[in-house]
Amino acid sequence: MTKAPTAYRVALLFNANKIYDREIITGIGSYLSSTRASWDLFLEEDFRCRLNGIERWQGNGIIADFDDPDVRTALSHSRLPVVAVGGSYTDESDYPADVPYVATDNFKLVKLAFDHLIEAGLERFACFSLPEDPTNRWAQEREKAFELLMRKDGMPCEIFRGVRTSAPSWDTAVKQQIEWLQALPKPIGIVAVTDARARQLLQACLSAGITVPEQVALIGIDNDPLARTLTRIPLSSVAQGAQEMGRTAGHLLHQMLHGARLAGTRIIVPPAGINVQASSRHETPNHPYVMQALHFIRQYACQGIKTEQVADYVGVSRSSLETYFRRSRGHSVHNEILHFKLEAAKHILEHEEQSIADTAVRCGFTSVQYMHAVFKRELGCTPRGYQERTTAIAQP
Amino acid sequence: MTPSRHEDAALAGAIHYPITSTPAGPGCTHYTLRNAHDARVVISDRGATLVSWLAPDRYGRVADIMLGYPDAGGYERNPVFFGGLIGRWGNRIAGARFMLDGLDYRVDHNEGENHLHGGDTGFHLAMWQARVESGGLRLTHTSPEGDAGFPGTLQVAVFYSFDDNGCLSIDYTATSDAPTPINLTSHGYFNLNGGTGDIYDHILSIDADHYLAIDAQAIPTGIADVASSAFDFRQPAPIGPRLTWPDPQLALGNGFDHCFCLNPLRTGATSEHVLREAATVFDPGSGRRLTVATTEPGLQFYSGNYLAGIQGRGQTPYRKHDGFCLEAQAYPDQINGPHAEDVILRPGQIYRQTTTYTLGIQN
Repeated sequence: MTKAPTAYRVALLFNANKIYDREIITGIGSYLSSTRASWDLFLEEDFRCRLNGIERWQGNGIIADFDDPDVRTALSHSRLPVVAVGGSYTDESDYPADVPYVATDNFKLVKLAFDHLIEAGLERFACFSLPEDPTNRWAQEREKAFELLMRKDGMPCEIFRGVRTSAPSWDTAVKQQIEWLQALPKPIGIVAVTDARARQLLQACLSAGITVPEQVALIGIDNDPLARTLTRIPLSSVAQGAQEMGRTAGHLLHQMLHGARLAGTRIIVPPAGINVQASSRHETPNHPYVMQALHFIRQYACQGIKTEQVADYVGVSRSSLETYFRRSRGHSVHNEILHFKLEAAKHILEHEEQSIADTAVRCGFTSVQYMHAVFKRELGCTPRGYQERTTAIAQP
Repeated sequence: MTPSRHEDAALAGAIHYPITSTPAGPGCTHYTLRNAHDARVVISDRGATLVSWLAPDRYGRVADIMLGYPDAGGYERNPVFFGGLIGRWGNRIAGARFMLDGLDYRVDHNEGENHLHGGDTGFHLAMWQARVESGGLRLTHTSPEGDAGFPGTLQVAVFYSFDDNGCLSIDYTATSDAPTPINLTSHGYFNLNGGTGDIYDHILSIDADHYLAIDAQAIPTGIADVASSAFDFRQPAPIGPRLTWPDPQLALGNGFDHCFCLNPLRTGATSEHVLREAATVFDPGSGRRLTVATTEPGLQFYSGNYLAGIQGRGQTPYRKHDGFCLEAQAYPDQINGPHAEDVILRPGQIYRQTTTYTLGIQN
């Protein structure tokens, strides 16, 4: 085995002016450096993609960005092994036929962003997309993902595409964005289909005096450091698994160069992570533990629960739950339960013809005497007195 | 000299949260270790088993990151080894036989013709003696001469401790009155998103340039390079897509069920019995990140290939790939290989292993 390893001539057809494409190329490079395979990589000096003459190119294989419709067309009948890289599609028929395909999972990118906004405490959501265009079908796929998530949760689906920004239309674009933002109910969480898009919206928010993240919590996709540094409020973003996509594409082409037939292979890569920054750090009034506890108390206070059970439900110690409660509610868990029971008892005494004893039982008081004491202390009257007072008011 | 403020803080940090015990079934007790952040690890004296690990996610939601049976009854047979301490021999012995000092031994064959995870009387099924000690929980077990076919009476002890950094430390020691093969491991199944859904989006990295290729019976056939294969986790990679890479080794294991040969320490110092970081797993959804460090040379990565239909604590049974294991250990079938001597415990020697699992949050 003295023969030098054959160097394969491989073309990379990407417009590597964006972080996503550059990371894919990084992944391909990282795959190659981990193997003994010897490839001569062909890519344009300025990392832009030029297709003229590709069909006559004397090489061994191609890895190409199939999000670009021109690339897709040019390579549809390639005699060389081709590995396609692009976005995932909801509709099976949107994938190119007969070519191994490595995809970023558009649904999971949006879901991760959406789940983050939910956890940040938001209850209304919108999506900022791009005008429909063959060069950004992934944006429409991300809209579809957003739509599906909204439909699942029975929420209205608010998607704004706006216009493509170019210098002459700049002001109009911003004006439209501000109009859209102002019309939205607040607070709202917005998923932008890219960081570039998120950055524009963030700027629109700031110029319109809309606070981020208090009124609009914003998250983009790409985790682009450039977009992050160009915004006054650091931008939260979902990172795509682009390097792993590159490694995967490199591996598939490597296999094909050794004779493997992989035409039907499709590998969908999930997001690599989420970079939580200030733009989505929506401050909910309550700590998550407190929200969980309130959720539990609302359901079970009238069954006579105690602090310990609430703490068990939340999954924290009693003492920490008390700390969280004092900080965000200004009183103890016990007081929260008690007030809930008191409100329930007041409601019954006001609206139903119930005996005091039955009311005490239904509201989870351990005894009539105890309910009596609570009423005296909190309302300055007995349950009977309360009942008489409200019925007296009700009967003019 | 009066303690400075700094020392006061250090002392406060050293407070041990009391280990609580609760009955968990006939003759079985659960011990709960907790830390300052209210994360909790539950250990059963049946099989010295890791039952639960409750810890918050990025948003403070507490969930159990371990897979397990709905009640203590499930652990009496524990067919998938949920959380169990595995011994006397973790992983497989080909043909369930080995030569030791010129004698031919046959041990339980409980996976076809091969031995797996201590056979019919594996340590994960035994009732261990538990003792709460300062800083942790000690469990001891005596495996009698001839247990599952192994020679010598083995005294084994494991010490679990849990600190405020979310580090669960497992220290094993063992002694024997006759030469015996030994390979202990902890068989926890994790799902960092809190036990709902699969592990496809978990991002794994393993510090290993090589792994052991297997045959159809999952017996190692030789060392293979991870480079240019689905097994290259030297850079973080999501598990799900890797399971779909075209690779005959994945077909043989029905997924990942392979021992990774952990890289020696780069410092040049001997890496034997030195605790070193072996692997990390990150779940982008929950933000939870698990780091495994060990003194062992091997790390079995198992992608939960045979979980389908096992009823866990959720409403519906587990599905294939709902959990993963990272089991620190010697190499599978090492007792039948050139390095057999490294896995033989002789009278007067002490077997030692430390493996830690540290759970944290990453943005």
